[in-house]
Amino acid sequence: MKNKISYILRKEIKEMFRDKKSLMMMLVVPIMIPLLIIGMSALFEMQMNRPVTDYNRIGFAYDLGEIEESLAKEFELNFVTGKEEEIKKQYQDGFLDLYITKENSIYTIHGDDKDTTSLASSLVESYFNAYKEHLQEEYLKEHEIESQEVIQMIQLKEDIKETENYFSNYITNYAFLFILMAITVSATYPSTDTTAGEKERGTLETLLTFPIKSKDIIIGKFLSVSFSSVITGIISLVLMVISLMIAGNMFEIYKGVEMMLPLNSLIFSTVVIIAYSLLISGLCIAVASKSKTFKEAQSALTPLTFISFFPGMIAFMVDLESSSFLSLVPFLNYSLLFTDITNGTINYLNIFLMLISTVVVIGLVLGIIIKQYKSEKVLFQ
Amino acid sequence: MLKVKKLKKKFIRMNSKKQKEEFYADYDISFSAKEGEIVGILGPNGAGKTTLLRMIAGILEPTEGTVDFDGLNYKENEIEIKKRIAYLSGNTKIYNTLSTYELLNMCCDFYDVPMKEREARIREISKTLRMDSFLHNKIEKLSTGQTQKVNIARCMVHNPKYYILDEATSGLDIISSQIILNFIKNEKEKGKIILYSTHYMEEAENICDNVVMVNRGVVIKEGTPENIKKDTKTTNLRDAFFALIGGVRDEE
Repeated sequence: MKNKISYILRKEIKEMFRDKKSLMMMLVVPIMIPLLIIGMSALFEMQMNRPVTDYNRIGFAYDLGEIEESLAKEFELNFVTGKEEEIKKQYQDGFLDLYITKENSIYTIHGDDKDTTSLASSLVESYFNAYKEHLQEEYLKEHEIESQEVIQMIQLKEDIKETENYFSNYITNYAFLFILMAITVSATYPSTDTTAGEKERGTLETLLTFPIKSKDIIIGKFLSVSFSSVITGIISLVLMVISLMIAGNMFEIYKGVEMMLPLNSLIFSTVVIIAYSLLISGLCIAVASKSKTFKEAQSALTPLTFISFFPGMIAFMVDLESSSFLSLVPFLNYSLLFTDITNGTINYLNIFLMLISTVVVIGLVLGIIIKQYKSEKVLFQ
Repeated sequence: MLKVKKLKKKFIRMNSKKQKEEFYADYDISFSAKEGEIVGILGPNGAGKTTLLRMIAGILEPTEGTVDFDGLNYKENEIEIKKRIAYLSGNTKIYNTLSTYELLNMCCDFYDVPMKEREARIREISKTLRMDSFLHNKIEKLSTGQTQKVNIARCMVHNPKYYILDEATSGLDIISSQIILNFIKNEKEKGKIILYSTHYMEEAENICDNVVMVNRGVVIKEGTPENIKKDTKTTNLRDAFFALIGGVRDEE
C-alpha cells in the first residue's frame, strides 16, 4: 500500500488555496511587517530629530540677569519670566513645557512625565551647566585663580566605537518577534479548519471511512498546516529584509549601518522559521482536534497565540541572553536565537539544541494526537 | 460474506439528574449477508441503526462482538476491509471546494486505484450516473440531486464489494431518492452486498431481500419481508413492526 500522507497533504493544500480566509491569513498577515518596520523607524526618527521649538517654552519664576538671558538665547530657550503663580498657571494651561523656581541658590525644575518635558528638562540642564560654569569662572577670577586650570583639572575624551546601532537592533528584533506572531496567527486558521472545521462540516466522517491510517491523516494535516506557516514565515522574512533595506536608505537613524542581513543570518533565520512553524502547527493541530466546533477550536487556540509570543517578548524586554539550556526551552529558544542572529552572535550548538528540542516536542505532540485520533474519539467525543 | 456477531455498543450519557449513566445503543446484534443480497436494517429513529452501521463501517469500535468481512476483522485488517466497503449516510458530506472530477480522483488516490484505470473508471461512472454536464463543476455549485449522485460516484469509484448505506434517501426528493434506489438495484445485480438502513418501511419492502428489524438497540425480528409478514400475520412491514413492538406507545 502506498503512503497516503502525500494524498492527504495534496487534498489539504488544495482546499487551503481555495479558501479565501486561509489565503488571507497566509499572505496578508506578513504585510504588517513592512508597516511595522517603516512605521517604527519613522517614529524613532521623528523623536530623534524633534525641533527645539517643540520643547523650548520655559518659564522662569524669577527675574533673569543679563548673563542668564544671553545664555537662554544661546540655548534657544523661548522663555517667559514672571511671578510663580502666573508661570505655574501658564504651564498648567499648556503654554510652557516646564518652569523653574528659585530659592536662594536652589533652582527647581517643575514638570511632569511628558515627552516634551523630559526633552525640555535636558535642554534646561545644559543651560544650567553652562550658567554654573560661568559663575564658577567668575568666582575663580575674583580670587585670582586660573579658572581653566581648575575647571579642566581632568579631561575626558571618548573613544567609543559604535559596533551596533541601537535602532536597527531594536527594529530587527521586533520584526523577528512579529514574524513569530505572524506564523502563529497563520497556523491557527488552517489547523482549526482542517480539524474542528472538517468535523463541523461533516467531511471528517467521510475521510475516516477511507482506507487511511489515522497516523497518515494527522501527519498529512500537520504537514499542510506547517506548509502554510512556513510560507507565511518566509514571506515575512523576505518582506522584513526588503523593508529593512528601504528603511536603511530612508532614515537618518540608520546612517552608516548595514541593514541587509548577511547570508548566514538569512539561512539561520529560515531554519528557525521552519522549526517554529513545525512546532506551532503541531500544537495548533493538537489543540484544535480536541474541539467539536470551529468556534470552540478558535477559543481554545487563543491562549496558545499569547503563550507563543510572550516568552520572546519578555526575553527581549529583560535582555535575556541565549544559552545551551534556554535553547531547549520551546518558544523562548526561537526568540533568543533571533536575537543572536540580529546581534551577529550565532552559536551553532544552540541552533542544534533548538532543533533537537523542536523535534522532541513535535514527536510527543503528534504521538499523543495520533493515539487519540481514533475515529470514535475524534468524531463523537 | 458479511457476518455480524453479537455486536454491542455502550455509550455514556447524562441522565435527568445530570449524572453519568451507561446505556447500550445496540445489544447483541447478529446477522449475516451474502453476495447479491440487500439487507435492510429497519427501525424508528433512535433504534440504533446508525450506531450499528457505523460499527460495521469501522467508524465506531464495538464494545463487544465482531464484524467479519470475508474472514477479515477490523483489529487485524482495518485498511483491507475499508478498501472493500463504501459507506454513505444521509449526513455524509463531501468536499465542496473540489470539483466532482477532483473528488473522484482523490478517492482513487485513497483507494489505490491504478493510474491507468482512473480515467476510464471516472468516465464510466460519470456516464452511468449522467454526471458529464457537471463533472468539472465545483460541488458547492451543484443541486441536492447532483450532490447525491456525486456521493454515489464516490462510493463506486473503487468498485467495492460491500455498500453500507445509512438513511441514504432521508430528506431527499422523489427523484434523488430514485437515483439511489436504482443504484442499489444495479449493484445488487452485480453481486454486491448491500446493507441499507431506513425508517421507510415501504421502501425497504420493495428492495430488500432480508430485513433486520431493530428497536431500542435489539433485534426484534429478522428474515425475508414475506416471512416477517407471514409470522406477524400482517400485510406490510409497517404493520409487522407495530405488531412486533406491541403497537404505538406515547413514549415512542
